[in-house]
Amino acid sequence: MRDRIFAVIGATSVAVVMATTSIGVAGQAKRPAQPAKPAAAKALPRTPDGHPDLTGVYDLATLTPVERPNGMSATLTDEEAAKLEKQAAARRDLLAQPSKGDRDAPPVGGDGSVGAAGNVGGYNNFWLDPGNAYFEIDGQKRTSLVIDPPDGRVPQMTQAARERLMANRNARPTSDAAENGRDPGFEGPTAYDDPERRPLGERCLLGFGSTSGPPILPNYFYNNLHQIVQTTDTVMILTEMVHDARVVRMNAQHLPSSVRKWLGDSVGHWDGDTLVVDTTNFTDKTRFRASTVDLHVVERFTRIDEKTLRYRFTIEDKNTWPQPWTGEYIWPATDDRIYEYACHEGNYALGNILRGARLKEATDAKTKSKQ
Amino acid sequence: MRVKLTMTLAGLGVMLAGTSLIGHHAFGGEFDPNRPVLLKGKVVKLEWVNPHAWIHVEIPKPEGPDNCQFTPNAKCETWMVEGGTPNTLLRRGITRDSLTAGTELVIDGYQARDHTVNRANGRNVTYPDGRKLFLGSSGTGAPTDGADPTEPTGRGRGRGGR
Repeated sequence: MRDRIFAVIGATSVAVVMATTSIGVAGQAKRPAQPAKPAAAKALPRTPDGHPDLTGVYDLATLTPVERPNGMSATLTDEEAAKLEKQAAARRDLLAQPSKGDRDAPPVGGDGSVGAAGNVGGYNNFWLDPGNAYFEIDGQKRTSLVIDPPDGRVPQMTQAARERLMANRNARPTSDAAENGRDPGFEGPTAYDDPERRPLGERCLLGFGSTSGPPILPNYFYNNLHQIVQTTDTVMILTEMVHDARVVRMNAQHLPSSVRKWLGDSVGHWDGDTLVVDTTNFTDKTRFRASTVDLHVVERFTRIDEKTLRYRFTIEDKNTWPQPWTGEYIWPATDDRIYEYACHEGNYALGNILRGARLKEATDAKTKSKQ
Repeated sequence: MRVKLTMTLAGLGVMLAGTSLIGHHAFGGEFDPNRPVLLKGKVVKLEWVNPHAWIHVEIPKPEGPDNCQFTPNAKCETWMVEGGTPNTLLRRGITRDSLTAGTELVIDGYQARDHTVNRANGRNVTYPDGRKLFLGSSGTGAPTDGADPTEPTGRGRGRGGR
């Protein structure tokens, strides 16, 4: 049953994508990749030490997913993008329509909603703030962040990684864990035993969906703001959700391998006008996409115009993928402000979830003793 | 099985028509699908906090434990209703003062799995006439409130300045 429900939802969620399956390679042919113009770079803002000034607040919200949906080409024409963006807008408009004021309570047994809404319907759409456009880079509207492999998909994990995953399937969930579809009974038998069995996002330790990274990814729901503060010696990358500040030490050596950090140890240098940030020394707690402590992330920040950065990341972990893989997207500057996200302040949910699990245990035990 | 699947599809329709999918945590782990609630009452307090805002409403009930604040000579029961992150609304110009005490709301959702507490998810929070809360507030003065037709609207494509 569970699989069938997911199949239903899967079919629904890809419906928008399927509408674009007729898209050919015309878009690609029409829009050859254009390298950034060096002439324009001269006019870009620079710090007193002569490097491009990356300082600013950036809003990473986008409709472009990390991996390319099946059946889509690598790029969209303006018309194709406009059509998909219009569909997304239409869905938002539908969800904003008034309900009946004299409506009844929702159905007993749940409303059938899936994902994090968990059969109880989550909350209203007005709380969300996702992107509403596909990002454009080198004149191309992209359908995935992943650019290498060229199919826009993260490489298949190695056999060893799959076996590790299977052996650890009841391990503590990671910061990028999908928190969808998890109801008591759906997760492993120990998943609700104590707070440390809950996902890092639910515990307010990191944002979900690798918001802090590295690599820093859009979360597709809300609070996609990041701030860069740059000095000669350090670059700080602040992630609104969950108030993580990663300090990149410029022209420094990595810490000894015995020192492990939640966001890894980041050191930076300039490659021409591109800031290159190299991160290693991860813990075994975040495990980006099931990777290990040997994860190695290289990020490249390039200012491509006064309001936009290009953010490229390459991921390497021989314990997890047979080859490195790379993604990129743009970071548009925004006038919006980053606000405090004091996640523990109102996190009644974690207590509610754990007490709910204890109640279920008590109820199940009572039922069993009657049998 | 067929009946169950049909119900799922019907539920999906309801979901798409009314509410959203996603939260910071697993809502199914927090709220009980067998305890639907319909709350009609008035706001007494707004916890404008992360990761999720909580709206406190008083519901007039003859056996309620407290005197109502906004319904004279009546007893009330207070419920806490879970919403989403306030940060996104703040960027649209909606603040903690946008929802004042005494505002009448209709809320449907499901009670927490811990039935000893009066807590529910705000599956659908509306005014008594059915309008969704926090919508229709264009022209709030926020940078991207939609009031300026020349303002770029393609999120993810670039907007604003440095």
